[in-house]
Amino acid sequence: MIGRVWRAVTGWVSNVWSDIRASTDASLLGVARFVGLLYGPIDRSLRIDEALRKALKYRLAPHVGWRHVFGGITYLLFMILVVTGVLLSFYYRPSVEEAYPSVQHMASEVSFGWLIRDLHVWSANLIVLSVLAHMGRVFFTAAYKPPRETSWLIGLMLLFVVLAFGATGYLLPWDQWAYWTVTEVLDAMSATILLGGLATGAIMGDVIVSGATLSRFFALHVIVLPWIAFALLGYHFTLVRRRGVAPPAEVKETEDPWRPSAAWTVEELEKMDRGVPFFPHHLLRILVVVVLVIAVAITLAVLFPRPMADVASPYQLPGELVSTWVPVDVSLALIRYLGPWGFTAFTLLGLAMALLPLFDRSPERRLRHRPVAAVLGVTFFVGFAAAWIVGRQLRDVPPSERLPEVPSAVSDSVEPGVPLPDLGPTPLRPGDPDAERSRP
Amino acid sequence: MKRPGLGLIIALLGTAAPLEASPAVQPGTREPAIEQDSEYGCLVCHAEKRRTFTMGVHSERGIHCDDCHGGDPSSVEIAAAHRGRFLGDPTKLQTIELCSSCHSDASRMRQYGLDSGQLAEFRTSRHGQLLLGRGDLNAPTCTDCHDAHLILPPDDARSNVHPTNIPATCAGCHEDEQLMGRYGLPTNQFHDYRTSAHGIAVFEAANFAAPTCTGCHGSHAALPPGVTEVVNVCDHCHVLIGRALHQGPHAASAVNGDFPGCLACHSNHGTERIEPAGIAAVCTNCHEAGSRAAAVGVEIQEETVQAAAELAAAEQAIAELRLSGRQVSNEVFRLESALTSYRQMAVAQHSFDLAMMEDLSRGVRTNTSLVRATAEARAEQQWEHKLLLVPVWFLAFSTVVLVWFKFRDLRHQGRA
Repeated sequence: MIGRVWRAVTGWVSNVWSDIRASTDASLLGVARFVGLLYGPIDRSLRIDEALRKALKYRLAPHVGWRHVFGGITYLLFMILVVTGVLLSFYYRPSVEEAYPSVQHMASEVSFGWLIRDLHVWSANLIVLSVLAHMGRVFFTAAYKPPRETSWLIGLMLLFVVLAFGATGYLLPWDQWAYWTVTEVLDAMSATILLGGLATGAIMGDVIVSGATLSRFFALHVIVLPWIAFALLGYHFTLVRRRGVAPPAEVKETEDPWRPSAAWTVEELEKMDRGVPFFPHHLLRILVVVVLVIAVAITLAVLFPRPMADVASPYQLPGELVSTWVPVDVSLALIRYLGPWGFTAFTLLGLAMALLPLFDRSPERRLRHRPVAAVLGVTFFVGFAAAWIVGRQLRDVPPSERLPEVPSAVSDSVEPGVPLPDLGPTPLRPGDPDAERSRP
Repeated sequence: MKRPGLGLIIALLGTAAPLEASPAVQPGTREPAIEQDSEYGCLVCHAEKRRTFTMGVHSERGIHCDDCHGGDPSSVEIAAAHRGRFLGDPTKLQTIELCSSCHSDASRMRQYGLDSGQLAEFRTSRHGQLLLGRGDLNAPTCTDCHDAHLILPPDDARSNVHPTNIPATCAGCHEDEQLMGRYGLPTNQFHDYRTSAHGIAVFEAANFAAPTCTGCHGSHAALPPGVTEVVNVCDHCHVLIGRALHQGPHAASAVNGDFPGCLACHSNHGTERIEPAGIAAVCTNCHEAGSRAAAVGVEIQEETVQAAAELAAAEQAIAELRLSGRQVSNEVFRLESALTSYRQMAVAQHSFDLAMMEDLSRGVRTNTSLVRATAEARAEQQWEHKLLLVPVWFLAFSTVVLVWFKFRDLRHQGRA
């Protein structure tokens, strides 16, 4: 018995050792294998080593450069959000009583809790900008044209997932700003026909934003949306790998010498000595971008921490309403200045832009020859930027008629008091010369 | 007992009730008591009195029209109903006699827990002196302040003498320029009161511990307090300030009537607060600018201004701490303690005890400095956070530089 165990162990060790000796390259793979120990036996059946080597030999078309970096940045920010989000969830407690104090606790007492929290807040803002930059690049260079229209659609779903993540996460700090912003946006939503009171009621789970809403938003934020996001990301990345990066606008896809089919092969590119190897060229670029994005996010988190308003109260409007998320700036600006229908109209404009690729299937990819797309795109992006700038200036509490109604109706019934009797104008005021004279 | 025509009365009552019944009347509460009373002939004609009278306490206690007005309530003809001991519309003097016939009867009022001294009090009031002494019919009688038929307890919000209604009730005459002009009285009291600390407490905070007109002047014994009485009037509520004043140098003058007590610095109906920065200026109203007394005023002002500034700074620090996501319950407790000392300073000012003032202002500073210490620690922490940027950007820049070298290397290889 002991002999059999001994033989098994020594056999396994000698296998690993021979693997290490057999490995002639001193690259990262060798290190991974050495540290991973079990790598050898598994690799023998799964051929991970070979797959990795193949992946590193992958070549990208020569025009692929810095402007293709935004998709990667988005993914990086998504991963930062996942990691910081998991760390936050160790301390966050999603209930009306505990949400606010638990955020206070992690922001002021947990070591580096402030950094994790502000990194999460800032990454949520940066991811919106990088998604839009990525989307803008794809839209204006017509990278969505066949055979890559599915990538565009999946990307679009990912955009909605990002917005849904932010919208649900926005309520979780449960302070006055979060509470009343969500109330106002849901109010605007319920005023439009497309979304309607029914959908808003289902999202809120109550007649006002309450504990039911908080539970819902938390569950969506940490359970439902991550699964959807990972599934869509997998699909998106697979499509990028299968279809390749779109060629430059001047090159007709059909005339592309190295793209006879939807996917081009490593061997083809190598044979024609076209393209830039992924390793080390692109990997180095990725390294620079990753380091810079993380540094920028940390800098923003350190210099501009998200302030906290008082704990949420449905009975009291906040003195001012500070927005801390880019789409909130944009939607508040739209709601305040254009009304709920302006908000809807802008959403429809975005939707039209998003759905254009489904109908725009001509092979023409130069922007000058695509006036409709250019006008739509420029209108949307300029409008977004303008609304963002306007929204940043907004600090006041909405002049909505519904907002003060709910709290006053409730507070009236709990605060006893007899109204000031209306006695009309006082006939004599001290220092009033006319009144002084009329006195006998 | 039964007389002919009784059926007719019942029939008339039966038709009269729905005719004038208002939607606010709830059937089955007070109305049946009178409907079932076959003696209520008065209401056949005086139906409009019925609504108000039945809402009041007299109706609840079984007092009927004829108890005050006389006549024969079982008759429905005018001549018959107004027969006998009939008073009709009583004059002001008759009203006083009428009301006091019950309300001055201590053994009758005992069961209701009511005081029976109203008439005695009224006799001492200016109103009573004018009406009873000089027969001046401009002076009010009972029913000018209390409604004649709608008799309600003072804690009923509909009553003329409910705290929120008393100022308006008094102002009904005291705002009448022509009427007050005859007695040389000002008419701005209500206006001043409304914006005063007392008025705001009553009207806006519904704090009925704050005085209305009657709180200082008395109700039935209404008179403006005399010079020596002012301190005692304010003392009712401002007990600690009154005690402090009596310990201080102003006590003797107030008792002797050399100066009008509290009114020397504060006004009567306006009761405006004297701001910390304005304390010394008030002293110079009586004392000469360079005098020793004026110097004490300056010293008190300095202590108070400094303490107020400390409090404001602490409040600001707490707001910033809260904004930065910190739990501030300890700091709020400190601020409350500082506020307590500050309010005690307001009391101590009236005794002109400088040693006590210094003690209390130290109490303010001790607490606010703890709040400030937390805020400073927080600011330092934020500065430390910024230091994190040094290693972060060092690493970032070195990575960029290294990659740049590597790229140069790669380009070199590509060319070679």
